[in-house]
Amino acid sequence: MFDYTESVNSDFFYSAMMLNSDINYKTLNDLTEHNVINDYRALHNIDLLKEIVKENFDLKPETVHKVKGLIDSFSDIEKIANIYKQIASDNNIGVISCLDKHYPYNWKYLSGMPKVFYYGGNYSIVERMTLGGSVAVVGSRSPSKYAEYATDNICKALGEKGIAIVSGMAYGIDRQAHISSVNTSGGTIAVLAGGVDNIYPPKNRDIYELIRDKGVIISEMPPGQKPLRQYFPSRNRLIAGLSDCTLVMEAGSVSGTLHTASFAAGQGKEVFVLPNNIYYENAMGGLKLLEDGGNVLLNAEGVIDSVARSLMYKRMDMGCPAELYYQDQLKNDFSDQANIEALRELARVKPEVLTDENWKSIIKDSLTLRPMCADELCVLTTLPFYKVSKLLTELELNGTVCQDKGKYSLTFV
Amino acid sequence: MTSKPNVATLYSSFASGSDATLSLIEVSISPGIPTFSVIGLCDSSIRESEGRLRSAFKSAGFTMPKGHITVGISPAYMRKTGTGFDLALAMGILFASGQLYLPTGAKIYAEGELSLGGEVKLTPGSCIRLKTVRDMDFDYKIIPQSESSSAAIAGFNGQGINSLTELNAIFDGNEYKETDFELETESSADDYLDISLLKGQEKTKRALLISAAGFHNIILLGSPGSGKTMAGKIMTGLLPKLSRDELSDVYSLYELVDGESSKITFDRPVRMIGPNTTVGRLLGNTRSVTPGELALANKGIMFADELPLYKTEVLDFLRVPLEERKVHMAKKGVLYSFDSDFIFLGTGNPCKCGQLYEKGSKCRCTVNEINRYLSKLNGPFMERIDIVSEMRSISGNDMASIYTDAPGLESLEYRQIVERCWQKQNMRYGGLYLNANFPDADIKDAMRIPDVVVKYASDLSEKGFFSARGFTRILRVARTIADIKDADDVTVEDVSEAAQFRKRGS
Repeated sequence: MFDYTESVNSDFFYSAMMLNSDINYKTLNDLTEHNVINDYRALHNIDLLKEIVKENFDLKPETVHKVKGLIDSFSDIEKIANIYKQIASDNNIGVISCLDKHYPYNWKYLSGMPKVFYYGGNYSIVERMTLGGSVAVVGSRSPSKYAEYATDNICKALGEKGIAIVSGMAYGIDRQAHISSVNTSGGTIAVLAGGVDNIYPPKNRDIYELIRDKGVIISEMPPGQKPLRQYFPSRNRLIAGLSDCTLVMEAGSVSGTLHTASFAAGQGKEVFVLPNNIYYENAMGGLKLLEDGGNVLLNAEGVIDSVARSLMYKRMDMGCPAELYYQDQLKNDFSDQANIEALRELARVKPEVLTDENWKSIIKDSLTLRPMCADELCVLTTLPFYKVSKLLTELELNGTVCQDKGKYSLTFV
Repeated sequence: MTSKPNVATLYSSFASGSDATLSLIEVSISPGIPTFSVIGLCDSSIRESEGRLRSAFKSAGFTMPKGHITVGISPAYMRKTGTGFDLALAMGILFASGQLYLPTGAKIYAEGELSLGGEVKLTPGSCIRLKTVRDMDFDYKIIPQSESSSAAIAGFNGQGINSLTELNAIFDGNEYKETDFELETESSADDYLDISLLKGQEKTKRALLISAAGFHNIILLGSPGSGKTMAGKIMTGLLPKLSRDELSDVYSLYELVDGESSKITFDRPVRMIGPNTTVGRLLGNTRSVTPGELALANKGIMFADELPLYKTEVLDFLRVPLEERKVHMAKKGVLYSFDSDFIFLGTGNPCKCGQLYEKGSKCRCTVNEINRYLSKLNGPFMERIDIVSEMRSISGNDMASIYTDAPGLESLEYRQIVERCWQKQNMRYGGLYLNANFPDADIKDAMRIPDVVVKYASDLSEKGFFSARGFTRILRVARTIADIKDADDVTVEDVSEAAQFRKRGS
């Protein structure tokens, strides 16, 4: 059961406000630009709203007008927010805000991503996804056997590598993607157009329950909200935004799948398209994407490479790699950068006092920079090869590093 | 005219494969129209001896007797070849015709080819033959003087002669004198490169040391110019010299192939093969049963350059000799075997452009291209390889220091370690095997591998570090690593190091 705090009440209020008043993103931007409010939560305060109308603060006239409207409907909106809260607590639905530290990293740097969203199920999948990677799998609702088979194969392979599969819980490809990935280590994430409690399409109740049990369901819409037609493109944007690359398994020439793909491309993410028969009408949209320069989906390895690359950039952006890497695995380890520096200094001056674990930390830290071969690590650590090889085997055995093209790199898991 | 026995018997021998067979030669002369026939499945090289004999007799002052001359060479059911029977044939004819005195009841061994001028010359395979005859009981043992080095290696005593005329002195003058032949080895030039040249390539240095210390097959993959061929020359310097027995085995084969020109040296043989190698070259000549590269590399190194470019059939063929450490050839229903116990040192590029392991991403090959390039080395072939190491091109500074610095002496230290390891292994296996070629049964007990280490290795195997066959390979390599440390038991650490030398997915 969730214990909703005061700030979460403001989150429910925000959702209700966005759906039931004239307030929109422009209004919010205007307010924040003039330093009237710090964040959206401040609007959940009738006194502040009244002050805005009184003082004006050089705001645009329409903003002031909209705030007036909000004051008039304030109590109604609060009522609606309370209904949301009731439904959420009945259905065991959690709330995440962009002010939380749990907010998905992938969304942080994209504009227009929801400030508040709701989830049901195992949220740790979303957190793991930041460093484990995620792939959106989208496609036709009535796919060919071939596309279904490929979806099953590739989702399983990716999931086993610890990569989360993101899809929309629709029929066809979406359904197959969830089923194939729900039991893998990567896990499965379903992004719905309506509220988290709204099972759409209703016939997918079986996988809805499966995902709530083992995966996670996400929606930007508050609980109880019906999935309206106009919500779907926005939902597709979220799917593309949440993942590191997008796989188009099969798409007709007019398809929501193509929206997802163009959102992904717009966000600078790679799009892979499963090649298909050119005389098969239902695959034409995907094939056109290929013509426009989409990546050809031949096997899971290509996708894994792409995800690994994007994770590498992500780590560079995040600034302090050590902290991110070892946050959950190695609590007692020399996880923080200062300690690593101390260790390196110690290795230079007095190498004999370091334990195997210390050396491993140094090796791992060195590998965050770029993949290295065993010889380079020998030079770097000034250890003889037999010692380095032993450490590397142990690191490889517990899955921290892997060997590729004769070099060692971190496995991102 | 003294008593004139019409049948003379004496002994000679012939080599087939790596074995020699003693044969009894009988010469009979009976009155009639002059004929000369040789019976006993002899090939034309023996049947042609009539011409050589006739001319040699004349040059040496003997005459070819008139009458039916029949020469029988037994065992008559075996095919025989070679001109080494000439001397025995000649002596038989001379005894039978009374031109030489045959001491009563004397057992005589003779071999050698005759020239038209009556000189006695060596024939290939002498070392193998003399080794067989060495321990047999003969009253007279006569060989060509030019076979003295073979005789020395075989430990054979007898009298060497240069010409047919010397027979007069031996039999009529009773001057037979058995001598020990002195072993004259050529001073080995120590023609190897020092391992310190492999600057910054710690993995490969270690790999070469382990390979030499346990006689493990090894493959080095690296970019052009990373010193792969150099590594081959370095390897020669790491191995201990041949022992006396090994020298005898090695020389007898070389003598069989190269004849007089073969050198006697305690250096281990190094056979270089390249991508144009054929199965025939590796196997040898099956018609004359002459050993090929595989047998010639015995006790030494088979250096195979540019391995990924080899024909698939050649790599497939190599599998069995690498596993059994023997090479077989069949001729007319008889199976001949040669030992081929060597270190297989293969090198190659890791991909088409060769830059796969280089720093940065110089390699422009696609994943499929890389897989295709190395596909020949996958699977069954790699399972015969104990150690795989990657090499990278040597940096400019290191390259300069190779040419400017005085050559190091690191190889000598390494060789001492290797020698110590070999001694340990000889004690452990009774001198017949090293870690890599010890027979599969009981390796756990014989190599002193505790249960916990076997368990650890099986964990690694589960995680896909190596295949089931790789499992025993890795334990052998771990044993060698323990030997290098001078440890009695194999430890988990040894296995984890050994695991670094396995190619993934092989």
